[in-house]
Amino acid sequence: MNSMERIQATLAGKPLDRRAFAPVLGLYGARLTDCPLEKYYTDPEAYAAGQSAVRETFRPDVLCAPLAFASIGAAFGGELVFLDTESPNLRRPAVQSVEQWDSLVPPDPEAHPQLLFFRDAIRRMAAEHGGEVPIAMVIPIPVDIPAVVMGMESWLETVLFDPAGAQHVMERIIPFYVRLVNGFFAAGATFVVMPSGFASPAIVTREIVTNFTRLILAQTLTQLCGPVVLHNVGAPMLAHLDLLTGLPSVVGFIVDQQDDLARARRVVGPESVLFGGLDCTNLGPMTAVEVEDRCRAILEERRRDARFVLGTSGPDVAWDTPPENIHAMRKAAESFGRIEV
Amino acid sequence: MDIQQSLIERIHRGDRGGANALLDAWASEHGYERLFTEVLDPTLQLIGEEWNSSETFTLAQVYVAAKVTEDVLCKIAVRRKSSSEGQPAKGPAVIGNIEEDFHALGRRMVGTFLRAEGWIVHDLGNDVPAALLVDKAQEVGARVIGVSAMMMTTARNIKRVREEIDRRGLAGRLQLAVGGAVFRVCPGLVEEVGGDGTAANALGAAELFKRLWEESVRKEAGS
Repeated sequence: MNSMERIQATLAGKPLDRRAFAPVLGLYGARLTDCPLEKYYTDPEAYAAGQSAVRETFRPDVLCAPLAFASIGAAFGGELVFLDTESPNLRRPAVQSVEQWDSLVPPDPEAHPQLLFFRDAIRRMAAEHGGEVPIAMVIPIPVDIPAVVMGMESWLETVLFDPAGAQHVMERIIPFYVRLVNGFFAAGATFVVMPSGFASPAIVTREIVTNFTRLILAQTLTQLCGPVVLHNVGAPMLAHLDLLTGLPSVVGFIVDQQDDLARARRVVGPESVLFGGLDCTNLGPMTAVEVEDRCRAILEERRRDARFVLGTSGPDVAWDTPPENIHAMRKAAESFGRIEV
Repeated sequence: MDIQQSLIERIHRGDRGGANALLDAWASEHGYERLFTEVLDPTLQLIGEEWNSSETFTLAQVYVAAKVTEDVLCKIAVRRKSSSEGQPAKGPAVIGNIEEDFHALGRRMVGTFLRAEGWIVHDLGNDVPAALLVDKAQEVGARVIGVSAMMMTTARNIKRVREEIDRRGLAGRLQLAVGGAVFRVCPGLVEEVGGDGTAANALGAAELFKRLWEESVRKEAGS
């Protein structure tokens, strides 16, 4: 099986030659190619070269398109800052308050350079690997996009204390978001991973998820042209997982290192793909032996789970993670051999 | 239901207006100074303990608690201005997000909860170089610097603050408090970056700063 066949078989719950292994290695490609991050996150060719190096070095079953949420905020007018060893960040958001959204024109996904960078990188990656390795684009759920446009605090304040204002903002975001994400699919993204901050039990209440986030997700996801995987955003998501099942286009969930995988499986049901594994932040400080042992324990626990993928939770695998730790993850996946249904 | 439980219930459901109405009614009978010490402060401690132990509170609810706290502080400040009364201030303290870190929300909540406890807070904002944090602490006579970072890579920049404190011979006298999401998931990171202490969440900051301030005084007296 190649990686595409392995992931498709996982989606279908069919036997596998081995467990799929899908760490988030967007940033790591820059390290492998010794590429300055400002170039890596603006030049599609440089980014795609980094992902080719990731494939050659680690042979993951999924390649990641650029994971750079701040660039979306910058496309709205925020000030971007490039860092030495992590993805870009926002020095200043585009707007400060909900009132300013009235005069804010969302960027054109088919014309804005920062957004075209994403699509061009996906196109290049799909051309080189698309038939053999799935390409995942990572973009926050639509409800999280205002946080990169107006700052987390202003958006949280709006959601909490100005529901009409929050709804107004989302009416501006949704058409933009649908065009942007469908553009990713058209460019060759196999699926889209959506970190779900405003669905996370660490960030918002069940009431907010039920009465706001889920409604926006249902409205948006039904307009998308491809599959979606919801992501834990770096915190346990089990307590809200039941609120995220049954949404259109959602085929899987990437849960947190601290989430109980058996319970998560019971909540999402047998048809969804469940990604689980070590948190990216903790992967670096561990030894390769520890990584392999922990991954083997996870795989043993999920041995009978046909739709389980060994991944990483949290953000991108950190820059200073030793390569042998990533190899150790793959070794653990390979050592388990065939997965029978 | 007692006033603290009623307040927690309103904060839990994100009802800032209801929480303020409850507190205003209590203060009209007992006064705003007593409101803080007898109602708001112990309630914040309860929320902090519960947030830390059971994760029944979300960031959104603690943000509501911070906004209610700000509302009460504003009302107390207005009354102090008109009556020229007030309790002695604590601190000063300096806070900021370390160089290359732009995640302001946690730091701003720490500032709110420190001010609520009477600290004079110098908030230097995001992306603050180590030398600037130490310069400001020396300028204002702070014994505690609070430095925030969200990601592992930026958290490691906090080592520069440790180095700057040590280079200027201020170790012990100037205590380094560290915090941010990454410290919750990475055991040993506080020690790795040279922090003198951390709190589980923003609500624990005042207790941490008090402890570090006393540690500073003790170490200075002992040297």
